Amino acid sequence: MKHLLIIEDEILIQQSLKKLFERKGFLVDVSASGKLAIDMILTKEYDRIICDLMLQDISGFDVIEESKKKYSTQDISEKFVIMTAYSSPQVLNKANSYQCRLLNKPFDDLEHAMKVMTE
Amino acid sequence: MENRPDSQNQTSPKSLALYLDPDILDALHQDHYDLGAFNLCSLNEAKFALLKKGDRLWVNYSDGEHCDFPYYLNNVKQVLSDFSQRQNPSKDHTDVFDSLIKTNQKIEKRMFSSVPISHGQNVKDLWDEVIKKINSISHECHSLGSLIERVLDVPFLQSYQSSLVILHIKGQTKAEVLGTLWRSEKHKDLIEVKDFNAFYNSVKKSKIKSFSTDSFGKMNLPFNGSFLAKEVLSKKYSLVAIVSRHDFLSYAKDEIELYETCIDLLQPHFERLIDQEFSDKRISELRVCLKDFPLPLRIKDSITDATFLNDLYNNELQEKDIFFSKRVSGPFTLDIYDSDELRHYAFDLFHFQRISLLGELLNTLRHELSNPLFGLKLGAQIYGTLDVPEDSKEIMSEIEKNINRSQLIIENFSNLYQIQTEKKPVAVKKIIDEALVLTKSETREIDKHIHFSEGTEDLTLEVPLIFVVQIIFNLIINASQAMKQEAIRGVLTLDIKTEYDTLLIDVRDNGPGIPEDKQGELFKPFFTTKPQGTGLGLVLSRNLAVKMGGNLEYFAKNDLKGASFRLTLPLS
Repeated sequence: MKHLLIIEDEILIQQSLKKLFERKGFLVDVSASGKLAIDMILTKEYDRIICDLMLQDISGFDVIEESKKKYSTQDISEKFVIMTAYSSPQVLNKANSYQCRLLNKPFDDLEHAMKVMTE
Repeated sequence: MENRPDSQNQTSPKSLALYLDPDILDALHQDHYDLGAFNLCSLNEAKFALLKKGDRLWVNYSDGEHCDFPYYLNNVKQVLSDFSQRQNPSKDHTDVFDSLIKTNQKIEKRMFSSVPISHGQNVKDLWDEVIKKINSISHECHSLGSLIERVLDVPFLQSYQSSLVILHIKGQTKAEVLGTLWRSEKHKDLIEVKDFNAFYNSVKKSKIKSFSTDSFGKMNLPFNGSFLAKEVLSKKYSLVAIVSRHDFLSYAKDEIELYETCIDLLQPHFERLIDQEFSDKRISELRVCLKDFPLPLRIKDSITDATFLNDLYNNELQEKDIFFSKRVSGPFTLDIYDSDELRHYAFDLFHFQRISLLGELLNTLRHELSNPLFGLKLGAQIYGTLDVPEDSKEIMSEIEKNINRSQLIIENFSNLYQIQTEKKPVAVKKIIDEALVLTKSETREIDKHIHFSEGTEDLTLEVPLIFVVQIIFNLIINASQAMKQEAIRGVLTLDIKTEYDTLLIDVRDNGPGIPEDKQGELFKPFFTTKPQGTGLGLVLSRNLAVKMGGNLEYFAKNDLKGASFRLTLPLS
């Protein structure tokens, strides 16, 4: 079974996504805090990390940077899926530099978004 | 890679046959000057040079007298302390003086570390010549470009072919490259600031100041080969000065130090010339602004009686028309004359502020609302698929629909404030629908009749969607607000039809209409009948329509009550 981590501080989004993925048979951990998420990433093994960019404590990019302690650039591009509601060119550029998948919130097509997140 | 002249000292000399162009051979045989000598005459007019003889430093005066360096240094310190005790030295004086002190400190420092290489030249004379040249060119040049060009006249730089300066004035988006190539060709170019910064930092970090163009491909320097570079940093700008012989030979240590000293000596002049060019540019910009200032104005110099008048000023204006008069600076008085425009402007500054604030607010709202709305939507979607009673599912689906609507409204409103000029084929029906969604609450309790004459529903226009939506939005809002003033049931009619190759959209209401005497004013800026109005809606709308190759007009219909506007747009 695939193990997912969802980092999202909007509890409704976080819990809804958790439910959706659990129903599809995934094992899901969640975190509303970036700092806690870093601890989780460093101590547990995840197949996929779905990360919001605007968190309350630190940014999603900080989480990715900290994960470099454990993962190679290649791992990061495969494991991380960035979610954002603020797709300014700067944000897009930075996200592209990690070469990971990017999803704009709100999702236009939920099914498609789920595919991007898990494939 | 930097060249490393120092490394010569560590290896034993080996003979090497070189086949060279005579020009290069000449350059090779150029004398290297002895850096044991420095002229510190920039403090005052006295001429003296500093010499290193054995372990001792000597100051030689031009009249043949000499004393040892510690004694001279004492003299300099005396001059410095005299200066600082002088009452109220002006800011300019202090700045120039500070930079002189710094220059002298640098020279002193370098002198103590330098090893004289004697070529049997009269060191003092040569150095005197260099200083003299620098002094004379810096006084003769009135622009940075010419100063940079004339640097090549300095005696020891006579075998060099090009002199450039790369200047970045703080806050500007590009750095400027200017100077001379092959001693004749003027060069001017702009480069990206990030490339300049990288270059500046490499030059700054380098102890040797000698480089090759190969290492700076991005800079696109207009010559190939090795070059000397020296950076200068000031409060307002940073610059790198470059000279090159256009060859690939490395530079001797004394040559490098001599060049550095030259640039140090020139620094106060760089500053002066850049400041001057900067202020010249600002003055001319200011002049243009004042000339085009939308109100009649006059600036008067009370000493010379000279006056500056802008384009709107005319002779009929009199002293009694002066609305605003103020001593602006020194002897200058600024007078602004009263006019109809003035009242509008003073008035509408507030409106402009309000409108731009509204735009910002909308953006914040969009960002702040879209996340929670998205959460609600996901939640509703998931709850709806759980094992819950059928009526709960219906409620969830209603919630989801309402969230979609809210998202659409937020999206459409913030689109109104974005500058999107992209032309895409867009269906007429979509334009009308979008405008209606945005005006839904404003048009509550108003009957809406939308007539698409045959075929128009499927037509497409090649226009920026937002432009047309904004126009129709404006017309509907105006109509609704006008109708609400009447105690009758409002009827809003939209007629969409074609005439030859033109699309006509008529927006009509049954409100009070526009009085005949006001109809001419409708499209003038700041004309409004509403207490809270900006008077900009119709002006902006017409501008947008014209931009798309169409027009917006008011047309009165005698048989009907109310106002009618017609938007015409060309069909592609």
